[in-house]
Amino acid sequence: MAATLCRILLPKQGWLPFTQCVRHGSKAVTRHKRPLHFLKQKLMSVTRYIPPPRPAPPGAYPRQTIRDQEDDPFTLLVKKNLKSVFQESKMIAVVQNSGSTADEMILLKYKLHKHGITVKFFPNQVVRSFLKDSTYSNMAPLFIGHTVLFISKEPKVKEMLSSLRTSRHMLLLGACIDNTLLSAQGVVSYSKLPSVAVVQGELVSGLTLLTSQTAAMLQRHPAQLSALLQQHVKQQSSEGAPKA
Amino acid sequence: MFSIIKAAVGGLTALCRVNGHQQGLLHGHLKVLAAGLKTRDIPPDHSDVVLPDRRKLKFVNKMPNFKNAKKEMKNLKDIQGPATTANAFTKGEFAIVAMGGGYLHWGHIEMIRLTINRKMDPKTTFARWRVNGPYKPVTRKGLGMRMGGGKGAIDQYVTPVRYGRFIVEVGGKVELGEIQRIMTEVAQKLPFKAEVFSRASLAAFQKKHADMEQNNQNPWTFKEITLGNMLGIRKVLSPKDLCHNGRFAGKFHLPWRV
Repeated sequence: MAATLCRILLPKQGWLPFTQCVRHGSKAVTRHKRPLHFLKQKLMSVTRYIPPPRPAPPGAYPRQTIRDQEDDPFTLLVKKNLKSVFQESKMIAVVQNSGSTADEMILLKYKLHKHGITVKFFPNQVVRSFLKDSTYSNMAPLFIGHTVLFISKEPKVKEMLSSLRTSRHMLLLGACIDNTLLSAQGVVSYSKLPSVAVVQGELVSGLTLLTSQTAAMLQRHPAQLSALLQQHVKQQSSEGAPKA
Repeated sequence: MFSIIKAAVGGLTALCRVNGHQQGLLHGHLKVLAAGLKTRDIPPDHSDVVLPDRRKLKFVNKMPNFKNAKKEMKNLKDIQGPATTANAFTKGEFAIVAMGGGYLHWGHIEMIRLTINRKMDPKTTFARWRVNGPYKPVTRKGLGMRMGGGKGAIDQYVTPVRYGRFIVEVGGKVELGEIQRIMTEVAQKLPFKAEVFSRASLAAFQKKHADMEQNNQNPWTFKEITLGNMLGIRKVLSPKDLCHNGRFAGKFHLPWRV
């Protein structure tokens, strides 16, 4: 390829070099990418685009709290339902449902319906935002994953536990019975407690133990009472003598 | 009562199992579904869009009506650099935009016309040419001829296209998702790189380049060095590099250059 020098007459405006070295090779516009002169390569690398430094990698820091958005009408409806549920029912159990089928669900629902327990589904997001504002905020950690709510007016824990024992996919996470939050073991021990009447009877009998015993003793034959009292005096004197 | 229900449910599930996969409404093997939250987008309102009478692409002639056709020089600078005409939307919403320079001949134009006319729905969409019919004569010598003996005869006519030029514009009561497939099919067959843009996406594309220029951390720019002819670099550059500032190389556009 012969290098030819072209002298071009230039107008006085504009600054262009008087001689330009033109090699007869390919034209300016080619189908392939024309190889750049080394100096032009250097120029392109010197004037490359340098992006601004990124503050931090995307997953480095935990996200800021999502600002409160206005609830859409469906969420408001669900929250109203939840409010009535929490007001009316005494027992609210949170159960994890790991893939039970529709017919298992039907059977469970019928079993529980006999004892007055209803099965309810609510979206976790809505429940958590509802609990945040109410007094039951400590229940929020229970609502993670696929959860189902068992609700009843009377705390029928024994029947609920028996039906849960038979179902393969349901796992009790916790419950709120009579405004007290209980874990799974707490619910089991609650079920083992005797009923209120029995406990009341025990309390009453414990309080009136002494008086009832004395009443019983007085009702017996007076000879027995005198024998008891003599024995008691002998014991007291025998205790007094070794002490002294 | 419960036993009756249990028997009924059991019988039904047995029926389902007997039928195998042809289950009706029960689907007892599927999991329980509960109502959840789903917000749906409102579909766009196209009531203010006016469709023209002729909605399909017009037929384009193979060559212009010349009595005496004149041979022209190659004039490759009609491919170089960015387009100054037909680089913005007029009536349509979506367009095929050239991302490089090249020549469109009648075969390409026919392909575009036939594909788009066949695949679009004329009731809801219209299409417009944004590129002229072939007008530039391209000569070719016969096969096996030696050099010399004058310039060859006119072989075909072509349309030059620069970077950023619109080829076809499409609009009407459609969304991008319906049209994009057809238009990318066409765009991939063109002799230069082409992309499908909507009004919003083109604006975003241009804004991205503008932002790149703004937030470039490199203190040295191509423009500064060439304008000042630092180190006599213009010895190895062409006058076009002053205009294009290193973003173009021949007919190619370099998208990583700012």
